[in-house]
Amino acid sequence: MAAKPSTTTTAKATYSPIDPTRKTRPPIFSGSDVDWLRPDSRGFHQCRPAFFRTGAVNSASGSAYAEFGNTKVIVSVFGPRESKKAMMYSNIGRLNCNVSYTTFATPIRGQGSDHKDFSSMLHKALEGAIILETFPKTTVDVFALVLESGGSIRFLVKQVDELDTLWFAVGDLPVVISCASVALADAGIMMYDLVASVSVSCLGKNLLIDPVLEEESYQDGSLMIACMPSRYEVTQLTVTGEWSTPHFNEAMQLCLDASAKLGKIMRSCLKEAASDEQE
Amino acid sequence: MEFVSPEGLRLDGRRPTEMRQLRAEIGNVAKADGSAVFEMGNTKVIAAVYGPREVQNKSQQMSDQALVRCEYSMANFSTGDRMRKPKGDRRSTEISLVIRQTMEACILTHLMPRSQIDIFVQVLQADGGTRSACINAATLALQDAGIPMRDIVTSCSAGYLNSTPLLDLNYVEDSAGGPDVTVGILPTLDKVTLLQMDAKLPTNTFEDVMQLAIEGCKAVANYIREVRKFLLIAVDIVGLCLVIKFRITFVF
Amino acid sequence: MVGLSEGEQEFIKGGIAQDLRSDGRKRYTYRPIYVETGVIPQANGSARVRMGSTDVIASVKAELGRPSAMQPDKGKVAIFVDCSPTAEPTFEGRGGEELSAELSSALQHCLLGGKSGAGAGIDLSSLVVVEGKVCWDLYIDGLVISSDGNLLDALGAAIKAALSNTGIPSVHVAAEAASDEQPEVDISDEEFLQFDTSGVPVITTLTKVGKHYIVDATLEEESQMSSAVSISINRQGHICGMIKRGGVGLDPSVILDMISVANFVSRQLMDKLDSEIAAADADEDES
Repeated sequence: MAAKPSTTTTAKATYSPIDPTRKTRPPIFSGSDVDWLRPDSRGFHQCRPAFFRTGAVNSASGSAYAEFGNTKVIVSVFGPRESKKAMMYSNIGRLNCNVSYTTFATPIRGQGSDHKDFSSMLHKALEGAIILETFPKTTVDVFALVLESGGSIRFLVKQVDELDTLWFAVGDLPVVISCASVALADAGIMMYDLVASVSVSCLGKNLLIDPVLEEESYQDGSLMIACMPSRYEVTQLTVTGEWSTPHFNEAMQLCLDASAKLGKIMRSCLKEAASDEQE
Repeated sequence: MEFVSPEGLRLDGRRPTEMRQLRAEIGNVAKADGSAVFEMGNTKVIAAVYGPREVQNKSQQMSDQALVRCEYSMANFSTGDRMRKPKGDRRSTEISLVIRQTMEACILTHLMPRSQIDIFVQVLQADGGTRSACINAATLALQDAGIPMRDIVTSCSAGYLNSTPLLDLNYVEDSAGGPDVTVGILPTLDKVTLLQMDAKLPTNTFEDVMQLAIEGCKAVANYIREVRKFLLIAVDIVGLCLVIKFRITFVF
Repeated sequence: MVGLSEGEQEFIKGGIAQDLRSDGRKRYTYRPIYVETGVIPQANGSARVRMGSTDVIASVKAELGRPSAMQPDKGKVAIFVDCSPTAEPTFEGRGGEELSAELSSALQHCLLGGKSGAGAGIDLSSLVVVEGKVCWDLYIDGLVISSDGNLLDALGAAIKAALSNTGIPSVHVAAEAASDEQPEVDISDEEFLQFDTSGVPVITTLTKVGKHYIVDATLEEESQMSSAVSISINRQGHICGMIKRGGVGLDPSVILDMISVANFVSRQLMDKLDSEIAAADADEDES
């Protein structure tokens, strides 16, 4: 896997979002092509360039901005603050997560708002990493806002009825999780380790790491892992599609290696922020 | 539309004063303090009672009597056309209220001050007369939970179509738009606790229809008593077995 | 809500460590499973599954609809779960919504497979009547009546049983309609097509308590879990979906071990389930 350069991509001169009206999309993958390049000319096992920066929101206890290719996310963390009176006593802290989309995040305007599924996934991915015992009776709020969605088919289909919401979108969630853990670190919340998250798509026999929108719509299966790289522990794992055990092992190993590298980028971003402060 | 054929039979083959088949089961929900399933023909409801227990919302606590709460919900698959309604729509709020008031009238609430009794009814299949079936199920569940009551409450509905009073309307008859009289009675005390009717009906006909519904309630009461008796016998047998076992161990 | 004293908690944990759980089961033993099919006559297919005192109902309703523009050659399936307050007073009002949403999304992950349809328990292309115009929409509704742990596995089993009980009416397309018109279809009242459910995976949830994992955890045991992983596995032993249900982190090697355990356990569950479903179907035919 190629190393991810931690440079911003904001300097790009022209930028074209995916055209939602385009009906026939070029076939992403045909069985025989092995040396085939992906739509954004990455290799199969190459992630999108990742960029993190802390301190995006001043009023929050901690915040972070992350950019993976087109996916742009802001996460702000508030707290720990006193839990609501109505809540029952708890000797460990509470974690409250919310993921929402801006109205302009998706090719079709205003499809977003709150995303309950992602919120609960984010909660599950983070709860294993935070030392909740350190702040009893209090709540930490994690609010994630997806400014631009880069890999989620969910919003490409116009939601005609409830049946169309089925597709599980993987693309944005790993970015949200990774960004949230940087924001938590920025807020000084005690954690066992940072949580780095990576997904892979399976197309035929091939594994594509960090898939984008178009690839996801053709995938046979997907796997998303959120892990703590230094502890080598998985905090969240979701798999869809059919996988044989060896294939699954390969995909998981690929994800774990990638998340170890992503962890380093996240760590260096935090170190940079800390050294800036000292100066 | 013809709801009673010239031979005097209804759409589902019943006679005008015939009830649908009743079936009841007790103790389906293991974790509840009392539970029951009640079926009237194709209508099937399940009721669970939790309590008497501590009042969850302290501001609702009453120092002289128990707080009775009720929630009515319909399963997505309970009706012919699949529907997905948000919880707490007007119809279910209204039925929740009706059931709560009816049950509150027969529970000896003054014996359990500062406590709360929750009655949850879930409709699995709706084929007319869900209100009545819910009340009957709730009665059984309350009995199963061992909550002191003045008397059991039983309920049944009756309608008036094609100039004939009809007992225990099913969905097709119910949606014909004719009058639908739902009656709930305390059978031993011979008192009416619930009476609901929509649409209009001449006074003398109303008396006939209501009388028919009351007869239906009494039939339900007999059935519920049978179910209880059977259950008590079962408990007795278990008790007897224990006694015998105890004697045997004692002898040896 | 489970309120357990420290002694009770230790008892449960100790029992699991010694492979003798509080209800006398071993770690990989299920509670007795009872399957009843055809419980909701108004639905196309339905089943009720009881595992100990966990009691769930699943129903399948088929309605004619339009395929989505993205996939004109496929029908649509939606899974919804509802938690009845009869199961737990805290599910009253909106209280059960969070759990319902979690269960619905987990079931969709585990049963519906990837986007291209690989690994799906239900062959979506078999639901198409006229390509791009008419297809069957399957609405799968689950209802939790009584809850004593392991809801996801019970719901998965109930859905499998309900699908095997489902008859989709055969449809005759009347006449060749113009390309932009909706063709007229005639739904048969007598002929039904049975669903092939051999590809539907079973879901096995392994709950990790202490160093060990257990299957079919009760509510008390679930309250002591450190983490839980639900794995759906089909007849071929392939993973069709997996979801971790919160809790602390797991070592990747533990996950791989869990998969092999799940593979072994799910085979037993699948056999048991198949025989129960067959027995239930036979019962229904008789009555």
